[in-house]
Amino acid sequence: MQLEEISMSLVRGDAGAVERLTREALEEGFSPRLILEEGLIAGMTIVGVKFRNNEIYFPEVLVSARAMKAGMTPLEPILKACGIEPIGKCVLGTVRGDIHDIGKNLVVIMFKGSGFEVIDLGVNVSLEKFMAAIRAHRPDILGMSALLTTTMVQMRINMEGFRAAGFLNGMKVMVGGAPVNRKFADEIGAHAYGKDAADAAERAVGWIRGSRKQ
Amino acid sequence: MNSKERVAAAMRHEEPDRVPVMSQLALGHYFLHCDLPEVEIWHSTEAFGESLITLQRRYQFDGILVNLPGRDPNWRSYIKRVEESNGEKTIHWINGWTTVCPRDDNPHVYREDGSRYFAAFDVVDPEKLFYIEPHEMSGITYPYYWGFLEEATREEDFFFPPWQFDTLDYVLQHAGEEVSIHSEIFSPFTQLLELMDYTQGLLALMDDPGKFKACLEALTQGAIALGRGQAARGVDAVLMSSAFAGSGFISPEHYREFVLPFERKVIEGIHSEFDVPVYTHTCGLIGDRLDLLEATGTDGIDTLDPPPLGNVDLADAKERIGGNLFIKGNLDPVNVILKGTPEKVLAEARHCIEVAAPGGGYILSSACSIAPHAPPDNILKLHEAAEQFGNYH
Repeated sequence: MQLEEISMSLVRGDAGAVERLTREALEEGFSPRLILEEGLIAGMTIVGVKFRNNEIYFPEVLVSARAMKAGMTPLEPILKACGIEPIGKCVLGTVRGDIHDIGKNLVVIMFKGSGFEVIDLGVNVSLEKFMAAIRAHRPDILGMSALLTTTMVQMRINMEGFRAAGFLNGMKVMVGGAPVNRKFADEIGAHAYGKDAADAAERAVGWIRGSRKQ
Repeated sequence: MNSKERVAAAMRHEEPDRVPVMSQLALGHYFLHCDLPEVEIWHSTEAFGESLITLQRRYQFDGILVNLPGRDPNWRSYIKRVEESNGEKTIHWINGWTTVCPRDDNPHVYREDGSRYFAAFDVVDPEKLFYIEPHEMSGITYPYYWGFLEEATREEDFFFPPWQFDTLDYVLQHAGEEVSIHSEIFSPFTQLLELMDYTQGLLALMDDPGKFKACLEALTQGAIALGRGQAARGVDAVLMSSAFAGSGFISPEHYREFVLPFERKVIEGIHSEFDVPVYTHTCGLIGDRLDLLEATGTDGIDTLDPPPLGNVDLADAKERIGGNLFIKGNLDPVNVILKGTPEKVLAEARHCIEVAAPGGGYILSSACSIAPHAPPDNILKLHEAAEQFGNYH
């Protein structure tokens, strides 16, 4: 019941309640992993489904994400201390020349809400910056966003850079943004096209689960 | 019938001699396809005015949207130095800010620490707001001033700077007799999101809707003043840019609460003093709210992005709103005009004409603006399609 309350408070975007309930659940002896998975992530999963079904929109997702962050405040140090790892690690950014961040921010929210550790490189991210982040963090997934027809070509340049550096062995690349489509993703050799933030997060979770089965 | 009359007839829901053609071009398209440096086109009234007219003539469009304000004629005197790297110019201004000018995209202003400025919601005072110009050459500032000077530069009884209408005047003077000239204002909702950055703006809407609306109310007054000023110069129509009002951003309920009443006031405010069409540019996913757009009192809707960029079916839109509003757009600017062949552009433009032109009230146009790298041969097909398939008589 306690965990369901956390989920529902998160869906409502009630950050204060999520933080309080998370602390209470910890005090009552719920395992940190259970609180994370059946409280916070379960709540963000509902948010993702509602968003995809146009039952809620961007502002509502933002307040839910803020509530998740509030819940993570007491939980995160304990998860780390217990050695509980995120389900995967991803590096995300909007490509060089492009300063649009709203779509990328939504993807960050959905990935975090699915249990990923996210390294958000922000906007106008150069190939060099992506490469440095890959070297430093060794992500499972790299996501690139572009809103402009002028900047989506940078994704191709980046893919060539990743390929030449040998980064595509073991790391999946996903692309998205208004002018991007599956055909373009295939052309540049990306592993997937995320048609929206929820779709991207679902694919990412699928990859991680698939790789664990192997 | 000349271009000006043709567009006017379409906006009045009359049948002109043929379907008019008028498409917004991305500013990067001017940078790439006019023989003027991008720094000049962005910062100089005359250079931008000349570029607008050059490409209108080249593509045989019936109208021009003047989508940058006039510029401070002394803008060059604020430059400290200009650097160039990999074809991209960076202007260093005397106040320490920089403007990065890509060859094919809108320039952006950065503060001394390399960041772009946005105002935090808690510091924004609705009483200090009047109008936010997203295309101001010094970027977004708060409290608002124009250019790179610390002190406000404006006329005593008028918020806007004395050069505000210079580009409009230039284009009206050089092309306004024959060509339909449209000006641009930003909707209150767009202005506020540009001021705070989109994510913070949408959170503010949830956190303090009362203050959010007070800000919108103030920005509504600025939009009315600017629209009236443009109408007084003699424009043929005023376009209200409202890019964040689709379902990619907000729900229909939030549209009713935060967009509709304020856009209605802007439109009524202009209409109350000028008999000039005011129409709305909203990109992306608006198929679920065409009736709400109509309820703002707008005279027409621009863009109407088709799938996959948006979700508007042109035949459906014509049936739902075509009786009262003129329609401009629906031709996919990415998958057809940018990536397609000239034959594909011609075929898709023909389809748009066949669906939306009967009975009048249609202007052939790309949905959102035509991309910087769109092939000119593809763009020329718009006029060809109108000539070949768009005759009414």
